[in-house]
Amino acid sequence: MNRSSGTKKKKNRLPVLAQAGPVSVWMILFVTLPLLFIIYVSFMTRGTFGGIEYTFSTESYRTILDPMYFSVILKSLKVAAVTTILCLLFGYPLAYFIARKPPETASKLIMLLMIPFWTNGMMRLNAWMLFFQVNGPVNYVLTHLGIVEKPVMFLYTDWLVNIGLFTNMLPFAVLPMYSSIEKLQKSLLEASSDLGADPVRTFLKVTLPLTFPGIFSAIILTFIPALGTYTVTDMLGGGKVLYIGNIIKNQFGTIRNWPLGAALSVLLLVITALLIFIYSRFAGIEDMEVV
Amino acid sequence: MTEQNLKRVRKKRRLAFLADLYAVLMYTLFYIPVAVMIVFSFNDAKRNYSWEGFTTGWYGKLFSFSNTTLWDALVYSLIIAVLATVISTVIGVLGGIGLKKFEFRTKKFINMMIYVPIIVPEIVLAVAMLIIFITVGIKMGMGTILIGHCTFCIPYAVVTIKGRISGDNETLEEASMDLGANRIQTFVRVTIPSIMPGIMSAAFLSFTLSIDDVVMSNMLAGASQSTLPVLILSLNRTGLSGDVNALTTVMIVCMVAGLLVQSLIRRLISKRRAKEGALLPQEEG
Amino acid sequence: MKKAMAKGLALLMGLSVLAGAASLPVYAEETELNIYMWGDYISDDLIAGFEEANGCKVNLSFMSDNADAINKLTAGAGSDYDLIMTCDAYMESLINGGYLEELDTSKVPNAEANLNKAYWTDDIHNYCVPYLMNYIYVVYNTETCPLDEITCYNDLIKPELAGQIGSVDGARNLFPIALVALGYDPNSTNEDEIAEAYEWLTKYNENVVAYGSTEQNMVSGAISVMFTYDGNTAWAMDQMGEDNPLVIAPFTEDPVQLGIDLYVMPKGAQHQELAYKFLDYICDAEVMAANLVEFPYSCPNDAAIEAASDEYKNGPAFDFDYKTNIFFQEDVGDALPVYDQYYQMLKVG
Repeated sequence: MNRSSGTKKKKNRLPVLAQAGPVSVWMILFVTLPLLFIIYVSFMTRGTFGGIEYTFSTESYRTILDPMYFSVILKSLKVAAVTTILCLLFGYPLAYFIARKPPETASKLIMLLMIPFWTNGMMRLNAWMLFFQVNGPVNYVLTHLGIVEKPVMFLYTDWLVNIGLFTNMLPFAVLPMYSSIEKLQKSLLEASSDLGADPVRTFLKVTLPLTFPGIFSAIILTFIPALGTYTVTDMLGGGKVLYIGNIIKNQFGTIRNWPLGAALSVLLLVITALLIFIYSRFAGIEDMEVV
Repeated sequence: MTEQNLKRVRKKRRLAFLADLYAVLMYTLFYIPVAVMIVFSFNDAKRNYSWEGFTTGWYGKLFSFSNTTLWDALVYSLIIAVLATVISTVIGVLGGIGLKKFEFRTKKFINMMIYVPIIVPEIVLAVAMLIIFITVGIKMGMGTILIGHCTFCIPYAVVTIKGRISGDNETLEEASMDLGANRIQTFVRVTIPSIMPGIMSAAFLSFTLSIDDVVMSNMLAGASQSTLPVLILSLNRTGLSGDVNALTTVMIVCMVAGLLVQSLIRRLISKRRAKEGALLPQEEG
Repeated sequence: MKKAMAKGLALLMGLSVLAGAASLPVYAEETELNIYMWGDYISDDLIAGFEEANGCKVNLSFMSDNADAINKLTAGAGSDYDLIMTCDAYMESLINGGYLEELDTSKVPNAEANLNKAYWTDDIHNYCVPYLMNYIYVVYNTETCPLDEITCYNDLIKPELAGQIGSVDGARNLFPIALVALGYDPNSTNEDEIAEAYEWLTKYNENVVAYGSTEQNMVSGAISVMFTYDGNTAWAMDQMGEDNPLVIAPFTEDPVQLGIDLYVMPKGAQHQELAYKFLDYICDAEVMAANLVEFPYSCPNDAAIEAASDEYKNGPAFDFDYKTNIFFQEDVGDALPVYDQYYQMLKVG
């Protein structure tokens, strides 16, 4: 991309307009504008009767200096990190498995991966509850086989939350990794192994680096959404811990403090941008034109 | 065959078996909630708190004439999801390629904007959009829901496509142009096929995000109709009853059946092709 | 190349047409009524009956949270609807904020005649018509609850109940019971009192297993005490059978929270005449009594209760004797962020 960019593109702007035009227009109209509005709102005052009072105030930003928000964000980061690691660890082999299948089988496997997600998200969480609850099937089997005497309380434990988050996010990790692994020419890998490299080395030296763009997409598409999540932790975690997503949601819900919600979103945006920036520098990804 | 070769084959087989086992386990994990949902569509209880006994009554209720609320919501959701998928995939694929291939002044800025809808909690963007739409005078309805959905689907599509493109594509494209194809021919015949799995992923992601969205669908909805996820969340206030599970089951059965029929047709076609065109070189994929 | 460009343009135009088409106003002469409310909360037969009587179409769309309605109203999207369901706690804000049409209550004679004025109080009387109500009270399972009896909120923080309680969530549902337990106004705006309530709630929080899914946890046996809505209790009791071990806590002095789901008419509503007819229709004793068969919740319509079936009147989830010892959730105005601050502290730890 860098090689050829300068010379031929200057002559003809049409291809640029046709390809990057729609997305640019869309982003400016429906993302930049609302974003500017959000930033504007974050400097306003909470209306006593809900909504916003249009008088300038930095109160929201003074509020979020409270160390409590720092610990909330740390907790959220931790949950997001665990989810992302699980998704990469279990998702990459799955993506690899699917990508090595013939295209027709692969597309079917991808379909199978997505079908559960075309059902309702809240019902899926509820299904996990029904599955693991005290009188659910797991406990039924465990008690009847005599493995445990009394039903086990699986609900509201960390590992159930992790299962919920993991299964909720995995396709978003598998899809980009799949499309990136699929691209790898099989011949390339065979060449490498024919040259005497053992599979592990082939993987580390060839496959992994070449599929890095896919891994990067996977991280973006799991880590960031997991950072703002609250439905899984509320339902499977018992709602005893607040995450940043909860707090922002509440400001636009019962608390009706839109400026604070806006300010927290701006904070989340800054933190995430910073993380992506550091990450892309650290990993030396040239095509991450993030910043 | 040498001893070493035999060993290698055996090892490969064992690896393949382990890989299959792994995949089966992962898919099982994925289908646990689906299985539970299906089982509980036969639950003889007014609310699905726990298993009480077997009944097919919920299907009767689901397919009764008076029960249009769920179906209306499902159809509305499906229409929105399909439209959102088409729009987001087209814009996202073009955009993904454009943002990867070309250099232009606002590129860095647009690249940053792509991440905003993924980062900013949906409710915040939804409220901001709602206020802007009202200010501009756009009436809430399917159009506004679509805009909302596309706004978070497009970034997913773009990110997925960008993960797929690399230098290889450029080489192929240049070769194609050198052979006399124009830009559009190259785009349709070379670029698109070479990133097809990426396009498919983008479309799947968009559909998945759209069909299950609550926040945008709620905030930007008009007065005439709600989407299915919004309805389900609303019903959940006093616990869900079995007809929602029955609807989910019907949906899943339809999708799996569709998948089977599609592969059956494909097999038939390829068989006929094999018969007719035994002399022609077979096209794969 | 022009083709690609044209394609792009066509796409954009198509998009805007699409958005435009979906947003074209399609008003007919009061033949449509747009209502925004909870799903599965009004009888289909009732709606059908009203449609037939008035030759109109009722469009129901659904909210996933009370806050949805409030957000729509405060953002200015209220006039898309003719009637919106909200609860009494938001009324003061909505009235003072000028988001609602003032009702001409002479157009809803059934409401005037049948509704109990204890719930349709003077301060909200001209802006809403109450529909159904919900108590938030304490229920326990006599077989598994470690305590013999629960008679006040302070019992809930006894260490014996560690890991036994399922609870509704939300700052404005939790803090009032702490304030009542401490002997303060449940709608206090005094920060010291709220801080004290926070201390009380930290002990309560230790006993709580989970917020939300209370009935499910009770039926499955994960908890033995729940602080929840009467409507949800009704479903739980129904599922656990005739001789279920659930008991509504016999509170002696502490009042319980009563929430009222009511209809308001947003400012600029398009089909007001039809909306009045609807409000009057649902307040008819027979109509509401029939509705109560399907939705056996607490109701402010005295005449309808009179006309209701015995099954409704004897509903075990509504059989408790402190129904009049209640408090309402009031608007606490600028103290709301203070509540939120302490609520966050409670859950962040």
